[in-house]
Amino acid sequence: MHFLKRFITVAAVASLALTGAACGDDGGDSTESGPVTLRYSWWGNADRAAMMQKAIDLFQTKNPNIKITPSFQEYEAYWQKMATETAGNNAPDVFQMDFSYLREYADRNALNDLKKQEGDALKLDDLLEGLKGAGEVNGGLYGVPVGGNTWGYMYNPAVLAQAGVPEPKPGWTWNDYRASLARITQATKGKVHGAANYIGSYYNLELQLRQEGGLLYTEDGKIGFDKARLAKFFNEGRALVDAKAVLPIEKSVQIKPQHALELDLIASELGWDNFMARYAASTKAQLRLGPVPSDNPNSQGQYLKPAMLLSVSKKTKHAEASAKLISFMINDPEVGKIFGANRGLPATNAQRAAAQLEGPLATVAAYEEGLKDQLTKAPPAPPKGAGTLEQAFIRISEELQYGRISVDDAVNQFFTEVEETLES
Amino acid sequence: MTTTTSTQRREVGSTEPAGPRKRARRSGDGVAGYLFLSPWIIGILLLTLGPMVTSLYLSFTDYDLFNPPQWIGLDNYQRMFDDARWLKSVRVTALYVALAVPIKLACALAVAMLLNNERRGRAFYRAAFYGPSLIGASVSLAIVWKAMFSDDAVVDQLLRAVGVNTGGWAGNPDFSLLMLVLLAAWQLGAPMVIFLAGLKQVPRELYEAAEVDGAGAWRRFRNITLPMISPVIFFNLLLETINAFQVFTSAYIVGGPNGQPAGTTLFYTIYLFDRGFGDYRMGYASAMAWMLLAGVGLVTLFLFRTARGWVYYSGDKR
Repeated sequence: MHFLKRFITVAAVASLALTGAACGDDGGDSTESGPVTLRYSWWGNADRAAMMQKAIDLFQTKNPNIKITPSFQEYEAYWQKMATETAGNNAPDVFQMDFSYLREYADRNALNDLKKQEGDALKLDDLLEGLKGAGEVNGGLYGVPVGGNTWGYMYNPAVLAQAGVPEPKPGWTWNDYRASLARITQATKGKVHGAANYIGSYYNLELQLRQEGGLLYTEDGKIGFDKARLAKFFNEGRALVDAKAVLPIEKSVQIKPQHALELDLIASELGWDNFMARYAASTKAQLRLGPVPSDNPNSQGQYLKPAMLLSVSKKTKHAEASAKLISFMINDPEVGKIFGANRGLPATNAQRAAAQLEGPLATVAAYEEGLKDQLTKAPPAPPKGAGTLEQAFIRISEELQYGRISVDDAVNQFFTEVEETLES
Repeated sequence: MTTTTSTQRREVGSTEPAGPRKRARRSGDGVAGYLFLSPWIIGILLLTLGPMVTSLYLSFTDYDLFNPPQWIGLDNYQRMFDDARWLKSVRVTALYVALAVPIKLACALAVAMLLNNERRGRAFYRAAFYGPSLIGASVSLAIVWKAMFSDDAVVDQLLRAVGVNTGGWAGNPDFSLLMLVLLAAWQLGAPMVIFLAGLKQVPRELYEAAEVDGAGAWRRFRNITLPMISPVIFFNLLLETINAFQVFTSAYIVGGPNGQPAGTTLFYTIYLFDRGFGDYRMGYASAMAWMLLAGVGLVTLFLFRTARGWVYYSGDKR
């Protein structure tokens, strides 16, 4: 009997199924009368939730006719919930959107085109130049950025000085960068590595491609590089592993979810500049931000990436109120003050001025200000499946760094994923 | 019990068939019975059978959660055999089951035999060994486990003290699976309690008689204990095997959705979850779930077949 019971339990696990949504009504008209209630979801932690509540209270005081029902999860759980809610025709009116999911949701007809509200309920004039138009997909406006950040080179100047490595200056090349990694690792006898292997991040490949005038994904959603180009990238990383110049992958995997820069295991990192705040909070080192290496003297390949956007569900009955909420969240100076750089560096000039950034965040703001004229146009919203591909890239690069597959295998595996993901 | 006696009485007492009144009362009992069962029945219909049927349907479709499912027949099932990661997840899971189940059962039996003797503080030890199973599925436990098996952590230091240098297991593809096997073995409480109950059932006279005949400890274990508790071993074996196929929480915490390090902890359930909720391929994930059911079913059937050879029930003629 017990066996049977167990068997049924197994069967229950087998039934992963989510009952698909059968019924549902189409999005209503946007004429508002009387009080409305909006559901508003975001990803984040308790800190962000406390800030969000303050901002929501402020909004409700200023708009007594609109009530907000908030809800939040951490990042991965959030996307699982959004997917199921959207499938069940039960998506929240306003929700936080990631750049890599924007096209996926827009293409699947899950988002409301905000062009209709632009100018009236939704004011976008104050957005930073680099972020204007960042939420557009196929001519529609499906997301409004609340924050932006840039890829940068973060480093610990004390360790660089100790190893006799000069601080980076504009115009330094990828060869200079790789040489610096080996120098640091040797000088500290492996106590501190120069960096973690840069082939672990998809965005370092994007950076190199952009410096060459290319893109990670083309305008029409195809992959922007070929096998030979990826092999070159992976070979560079393979050589760093063989030379023992970078932090061994065993170490990076073990310390997750912490980062090696937080634990002073490495002296530098190529990454999103807003992570400075997080790293600086855990390490005693005085981190600095410098120019990224580039083999092209005329381009550093950096751009202002929308860190986080706000979108409105296609099914909302309150398109106008939703637009009002978004407009408030990105423009209101007091909201800027409440959040500081919690949502990435603020997306509008007014909020950036009000945010009163200090310490590492002031460094980041100054860094982005200094780059303003060199930043190039943000890429088009990545194609559907980009999130899956990024995961595949991380996974395959990891196996390569462990030495469990060859560069050729790694390249072929990734392109198999590309075929499967982008063609379907 | 009561039914047998009443039937017997009727057979003996009278040849007259049961009257209609009696039958009516009986069906009334049935209704009451079903009423009492109804919460469970409703639960199983809505929360288990309903989703199961849906999942079976979805397994023949291409379903991404956003668009209506498209019927594609057996494609999902066929695709699995060309999917390198699926094959990998099958290998990882099979290896885990083959290692974790025997190790855990051997440890559970050993501990149960130790605790079966009269000794001071027996209750405390039983509780202490059962404890880890109570918190078995907890997230914090897996996090602690991972921390213990990192570079320079407890396990690494102990091993180095005896001259074995493996580095942290958490980041080493050669040891990561073993780390999870040990975690499973440590949570031996449930099978241990069942073994204890089984050991209590073995008649003392058998041991006494064997001792008189000069049988040593190993002999007594081999020829009395093992055959006498073989039904309990079989029961534990089934339960643990089926459970081991479904390992998820600890593996997810240690290895994440990619089965780090280097895919060595990519269990079947992890890959299934990643396909469904990471890549939104619900059709494929559903098909994977049904393949798992079929796989576990086959293994269970196989175990039942072999059981005839080694499981003895009291009253058996063998």
